[in-house]
Amino acid sequence: MTTRSPAVHEPKFGTPAWGGFDPARTRGRGAADVRRAFSTATRLGWQMEANWTDPVLFFIYSVAKPISSALIFVVMIDVIGGGSTRELRGFVVVGTALWSFVMSGIAGLAWSILDDRERYRMLKYVYVSPSSFLIVLLGRGVARIAVGAIGALITLAVGIALLGIPISLGNIDWPMLVAVMIAGLVTIVAVGMMLAAVCLQTRQESWSYPEAAAGALFLVSGAVFPLSVLPAPAQLLGYLSPLSWWIEGVRRAIMPGVGIGALGGPGSIFAEVIGRASPSSPEIIVALLGTGALVTLGAIVGFRLSDHRARDRGLLDQTTGS
Amino acid sequence: MSAATPANPLAIDVRGVRRVYKSRPHPVVALDGIDLQVEPGELFGLLGPNGAGKTTLIKILTTLLLPSEGTARVFGFDVATQTRQLRRIMNMVAGGEQSGYGILTVREQLWMFSQFYGLGTREGWRRVDELIDAIGLDDQRHQRVSTLSTGERQKMNFARGLLNDPWIFFLDEPTLGLDVSAARSVRELVVEWKAAVPGRTILLTTHYMAEADELCERIAIVDHGRILAIGTPAELRRRVQRESIFRLELDRLEGGSRALARLPGVVSASTAADESNDRERQAVVVNLVLENDAALGGVVSALGGVGATIRALRKSEPTLEDVFVELVGRGFDDAEPPGDGDQRPNADQGLRTDHRPGTDARSVTGNRPGAGNRPGGDRTDGSDRLRADPASPDRRRPDPSSERVEEELV
Amino acid sequence: MAAWARRVAAGSAGSPAASAAWSRRQALATDLRTIVGRAYPRVRAMMRERSWMFFEILLPFLATSTFVFVYRAVHAPPEYVGFVVLGGAMTAFWLNVIWMMAGQLWWEKSQGNLELYFAAPMDVMAVLIGMAIGGLILSSSRAAVVLVVATVVYGVSFQVDQWLLLALVFGLTLAALYGLGMVLASLFLMWGREAFHLTQLLQEPVYFISGLNFPIGRLGFIGALAISLLPLAVGLDAMRQLAFARSDYPKGTPSPAIEALILVIMTVVSLALARWMLRTLERLARREGRLSVRWQ
Repeated sequence: MTTRSPAVHEPKFGTPAWGGFDPARTRGRGAADVRRAFSTATRLGWQMEANWTDPVLFFIYSVAKPISSALIFVVMIDVIGGGSTRELRGFVVVGTALWSFVMSGIAGLAWSILDDRERYRMLKYVYVSPSSFLIVLLGRGVARIAVGAIGALITLAVGIALLGIPISLGNIDWPMLVAVMIAGLVTIVAVGMMLAAVCLQTRQESWSYPEAAAGALFLVSGAVFPLSVLPAPAQLLGYLSPLSWWIEGVRRAIMPGVGIGALGGPGSIFAEVIGRASPSSPEIIVALLGTGALVTLGAIVGFRLSDHRARDRGLLDQTTGS
Repeated sequence: MSAATPANPLAIDVRGVRRVYKSRPHPVVALDGIDLQVEPGELFGLLGPNGAGKTTLIKILTTLLLPSEGTARVFGFDVATQTRQLRRIMNMVAGGEQSGYGILTVREQLWMFSQFYGLGTREGWRRVDELIDAIGLDDQRHQRVSTLSTGERQKMNFARGLLNDPWIFFLDEPTLGLDVSAARSVRELVVEWKAAVPGRTILLTTHYMAEADELCERIAIVDHGRILAIGTPAELRRRVQRESIFRLELDRLEGGSRALARLPGVVSASTAADESNDRERQAVVVNLVLENDAALGGVVSALGGVGATIRALRKSEPTLEDVFVELVGRGFDDAEPPGDGDQRPNADQGLRTDHRPGTDARSVTGNRPGAGNRPGGDRTDGSDRLRADPASPDRRRPDPSSERVEEELV
Repeated sequence: MAAWARRVAAGSAGSPAASAAWSRRQALATDLRTIVGRAYPRVRAMMRERSWMFFEILLPFLATSTFVFVYRAVHAPPEYVGFVVLGGAMTAFWLNVIWMMAGQLWWEKSQGNLELYFAAPMDVMAVLIGMAIGGLILSSSRAAVVLVVATVVYGVSFQVDQWLLLALVFGLTLAALYGLGMVLASLFLMWGREAFHLTQLLQEPVYFISGLNFPIGRLGFIGALAISLLPLAVGLDAMRQLAFARSDYPKGTPSPAIEALILVIMTVVSLALARWMLRTLERLARREGRLSVRWQ
């Protein structure tokens, strides 16, 4: 998107000195346009996410939602399972905290499509602007991920303070944490892109689809129980999912030395195929990058196809009353 | 106005209605003391610019909004307390509506609403099918609402409005956003329905002059929450034009327009530029302002006496926008002059002498400022723009907001 | 058009007053027809937009399976798998209540349909009931699939001694849930923009304190509080006690009969409250002009 800085001597639009159409405007400014579109969309997304009329309600929402998710599992393993160790609680709390990222990342892009199409009726205007539609969506999604990050951090803080989970800032493997977080967030956004592609095509009642998808992924991501508990075909899906490697990588990074992991272990297909009890940290990073790259590629292709189909069928400016 | 009785109540009876919205930074007075009576069987128009209060009044009458003060009754039913009864006999259609369930077909959408109005299942389907035929949406019967064009959607909304055969039909800018063909189609439906069932009442709000002029039996001009004038279109136009204005095309005129100006009954006469490009048929165009139509005979005789031939004779009339401008001092599209924000237009204010933008300075006549003289022009073409408004040099007052007029007058 | 209009007008009452004077039977019939009419778009949507089969049934089944595997991982008693399967089935109804009921009037206002509803002669409660019934059909499909498939796949064994009471409790739970949905619909209409956020707030926190995935009695005081306030908690607890009558169900919660009574009270209170709130809020909305203002 080309923009003109408000130069003092710039000829006024419509006056004879303006000179008419400037072909240079059609060329765009490459990376600068992408940056601008992304930052504007992020700002817009944040304003929409944080646009609560009651800040107290926002706070309750940010705190209650993620903590409740974690508490459900803590009760399940602690109260019903007959008690648990700090390490086991840490395993579960970290998994549910990280799922805030997944949930918000998946929902972020998909709900942006639905919001703009159904509520604000702005989708077509965003689409026909010179900014890349995908970049704008990514920017909007990032804002929601930020909200998810707040929830994750609060959950971890509560876990450390009240549940005694073994996380200590001094023990964190920061390089590994940074590496897996970057790779993981890219993957989450890619999954969100896939959902957004679906929502571009669907009409009625698609608001619950991101949550449904996240709920299904939750089963095979090792978030709250080891994958070895699942039947072999489901385990395979888990090992092919980048989210499993991501969660495991974050656990290794923030709770090094804790023996409980979601990948590997007795009865797992990892142990049977690879012959070792569990993957090493470098293996986790490599697997995350590999599976993440595949998912991201698939998401980009899928989104382009969906975009094309939506244009072909005139879905971009319809409102479905949902 | 006939006297209303309990047995024959007025269709609409609004007395002293005010509506104030509590908004920041200061409250908005949307309606400021409205008094309005509409007889049963009338097609009554509310004409005014955006923000005048038309939609607010309709929302009060359709029970969607309460008045802050005053009373309003529709066929004797109080809009505040007898909503249930009232909703059984009325319906409404607004322009620019996007309502509807996109997943349903036109037929299904209408049937759903037929159920809301108490029609039996089978009766509902039957009426829906008949209405779809009557409205001309046969091809769209099984088409999803989300795929309709704007015009088709509005026809569907219109059909929805007729489902319960309402005694009073509220139309809030029904042609808003429609193209010429679709708008004409909707207007024809209104006229046709009204003609078929003369006992039914329609209240139509619009800011399209031509629409109000064409459809309405009586019109109220509204601005800033007040009714400035009420009357038939002809009565309203007569407010601003007491003289008769004619445009004559002559083959020649000895002595110029001054000779005509001295004739009895002639207020002013002036020559205008001949706009025709036909060089072989050069004409002298004269704009005449007469005290009344009867004076025309004398002019024609005088012209005959000097051997001039009248090639064309047209009478000009002011438009409703001229009426509005007279009442308010600005056109629908004009911004309010600075400092006028707190003023409330007074219906009895009388004529203004402000010159309006868009004047055709070539046609300079001695008419009274405010009269909508349009040489050769038929005003009722549906345009909202102000038309050229000639004024005599000694009477006109240039509108400082119009640069174009300044240039033309110099 | 003219011929149609004349024919219809000829068949109607002779004056506006006569047309407006409906009998109670006529008014009731209109409300009943409204229920059917408003349920219609939801049922139609189910048939036309089939992606819900994947997203509303298969995926939620997988989500329920997560909790099953958690219990297996911690070697919980086998009846807990049954508890969580029942909870997964009831989740469908709760989500329907908060997404398709609570926020619905606000959505309708955004779409421009709300003012058409209020300008029509039927009771808006009938519109809400129609929405509820339409949504119930979808939710029931989801709940049934989760229940049946999970029972078969995970080998859940039900032990029901009082089928009638179980059916009654199930019906009362739905009535109370949807009654609560109607109350929320009125509240959300006035809270406007916050409706969407509040809907999300009613998910995980309610899952936790309603015991969707574990018997609420294990939460002690919080459980007791939930039972006194949330139809979902009461109904689910009663259904679990009845569906697994011979299992070692945790003590500490009222008997199913008492919980059934609590549900009756909740239903009556919520329906009465919903009716009062709708009327009050319509009056407030008409006074403040909120029926047709978007983004509020």
